Amino acid sequence: MSEIVDAWVRRLKGKLRPIGEMTHWERMAAAFELRRSDLVPVAPELDYWQITYAGYSHAEIYNDVDKTTDACIRTWADLRTDAIWMYVDISHQIENFIPPEKRPEHFVHRGDKDYLLFKPVAKTIDEAIELYESRAYERYLEGSRAVTHYVPHMLQLLEFQEKMDRIVPVIVGIATPSNYAETLVEVQQFVRWTVTEPKKVKRYLDLALEERLAALDFYAEIARKHGLHFVCLFGGARTWGPRQLREFGYADEIFVQKAVKLFPYVFWHICGHNLPEAMQLLVQWDGIKAVQYDMPYYSQKLSWPEWCESVARLFAGKRCAMNSPTTQTACHGTPEDVRRMVREFLDATLPHTTAVVMPGCEVDSYSPVENVRAMIEEARRKPLP
Amino acid sequence: MEKAERLQKLAQAVLEMDVEGIVPLVEDSLAAGLSPVEILAEGLSAGMRQVGERFKQGEIFMPEVLVSCDVYYRGLEILRPLIRQTGGGPVRGKMIIGTIYGDIHSVGKDVAVPVFQAAGYDVIDLGVDVPDERFVEAIREYEPDIVGLGTYMTSTFMHTRETVRVIEQAGLRDRVKIICGGPAVDPAAARRMGADDASDDAWEAVGKLDRLVEELRAARRSV
Ligand code: B12
Ligand SMILES: [Zn+2]
Repeated sequence: MSEIVDAWVRRLKGKLRPIGEMTHWERMAAAFELRRSDLVPVAPELDYWQITYAGYSHAEIYNDVDKTTDACIRTWADLRTDAIWMYVDISHQIENFIPPEKRPEHFVHRGDKDYLLFKPVAKTIDEAIELYESRAYERYLEGSRAVTHYVPHMLQLLEFQEKMDRIVPVIVGIATPSNYAETLVEVQQFVRWTVTEPKKVKRYLDLALEERLAALDFYAEIARKHGLHFVCLFGGARTWGPRQLREFGYADEIFVQKAVKLFPYVFWHICGHNLPEAMQLLVQWDGIKAVQYDMPYYSQKLSWPEWCESVARLFAGKRCAMNSPTTQTACHGTPEDVRRMVREFLDATLPHTTAVVMPGCEVDSYSPVENVRAMIEEARRKPLP
Repeated sequence: MEKAERLQKLAQAVLEMDVEGIVPLVEDSLAAGLSPVEILAEGLSAGMRQVGERFKQGEIFMPEVLVSCDVYYRGLEILRPLIRQTGGGPVRGKMIIGTIYGDIHSVGKDVAVPVFQAAGYDVIDLGVDVPDERFVEAIREYEPDIVGLGTYMTSTFMHTRETVRVIEQAGLRDRVKIICGGPAVDPAAARRMGADDASDDAWEAVGKLDRLVEELRAARRSV
């Protein structure tokens, strides 16, 4: 029971103007199930952005669960996007690998809108393996931000979802084994080792997988008790080549096989320059309902509509496509640029599959409000075929 | 072994990520009488150019590129002191580079630095999350032609304005050209913020560096 949630429920329940014929939840569910919806859903990953939009600074919410939840609900009540993304930062993910006395060295706060800076937890692959073998993540869990901030914030948002009778889904992000393995040691080291130390990388990934599979049991409990339905799997592997995907993609694949049995609406987040081979893998991994993808890989000389269309054709009958505008355009572009990019994405996608409008990664804190509004309006305006 | 054959082997070692083989190969080439500058420019650096071409063709990918960079560096480590002793080879320009304040992405910079070095630039790497004042100090210390700002996120790309302002306030803006790099950059936006150019592709950026150095030298001549 949370007072902040109850206050919002009292203020909003039964008083919201309907948008379209479906609820936000129904609209998202329809898109995921490749069914027709009344409007194209729009669900930007507002993460850090919503904190400052709601009038808080990052420093202010960092240790304050109520304010974090307040920011997410306040922003949603104002913009009425089709999902609420919980707030996450990198400390939630890795603090429980770091002994309490060392934590201050690993995280640096900057300006009110700036991302948290962090330093890697291990420098060599042997150190990284040792972290897992010694189960550091269990030893240091107590008092880490996973426990003090992330979980209570998630539970508050799910409480809001349930008390509002599921008119709007809450999206909870869960990082995959490859994402953990890379983040703990820095991506550039990890990918080098895939070439120079493939055996150790495999051992390391196996350990990361073991921890992640156990984490899924924890989330399964949350799903049972608190109604977690919409899950974003944050994939790593974003700078891998086809060889790495073939050799090391198994860890994420095993993880996915388990995740899709636990939650009804699972989607995959793959930001950055997407390799065509990675997109093909995501179509093969059964049970993923949608993919939040990003820009084409460097070597693919494709225009934005061509890229969106090629993905939509690949996804036809199999996946819902989530994209547009790019995070870059959301931040640097004009509202007109944003609208054009959303239109191009929808025109290229809707003939082949369903779509959710949202940038390929989190909306940058510095993105102007007009651009986020333009993204939402343009999605709302689009007639469905 | 013919000279041409040796040079080709050196380039090949970079391309094929021969981490172990590169050191003996460089040492053999030196023993056979090839000059350090030749080995670097026509061997290792030629290899780095081929790495770029293969990458753009989609034949190799980021992990391989990074290991090729490591091989290049192993060779360079042997050659650098020798090149210094002999008074250095031809240098196209001097550059300082760093990931801008607030940003810790480094993969792009780790690739860009050897590409610029292989193209004949003397590059000083200031690391990641570099405060604006550090760029000012480094301009005074190294007197570079180019300041490279690694800006890998939209928000940190926008920090360019601030970095340029601090360089300007220090009275150093006219002495250098400033270029941004990273996946989120846009040349027009970079210019609006007071930089001179931007690029999201290190190999393409080499052409831009050459042009900027030329402009700078022309401006210096006309003073
Ligand atoms: C790997 C990665 C990470 C790794 C970084 C590891 C490391 N040590 O570098 C980790 C996991 C740590 C990470 C963290 C974060 N990341 Co990140 N990351 C990426 C990713 C997937 C790949 C970057 C990469 O290495 N690319 C490969 C290199 C070779 O390409 P490149 O950087 O473009 O470099 C090329 C050129 O740009 C050029 N170049 C590079 N430097 C320079 C310099 C000069 C002067 C010149 C001329 C040229 C040049 O040469 C290179 C070769 O051509 C990108 C997605 C993407 N599109 O790139 C996101 C991305 C950069 N990250 C992003 C974000 C949001 C974050 C986080 C904030 C996430 C979070 N919530 O915590 C944090 C940042 C924390 C901080 N304060 O910095 C976003 C930024 C969004 C935006 N537009 O602002 C991106 C773009 C993902 C996205 N949304 O598309 N990330
Ligand atoms: Zn992302």
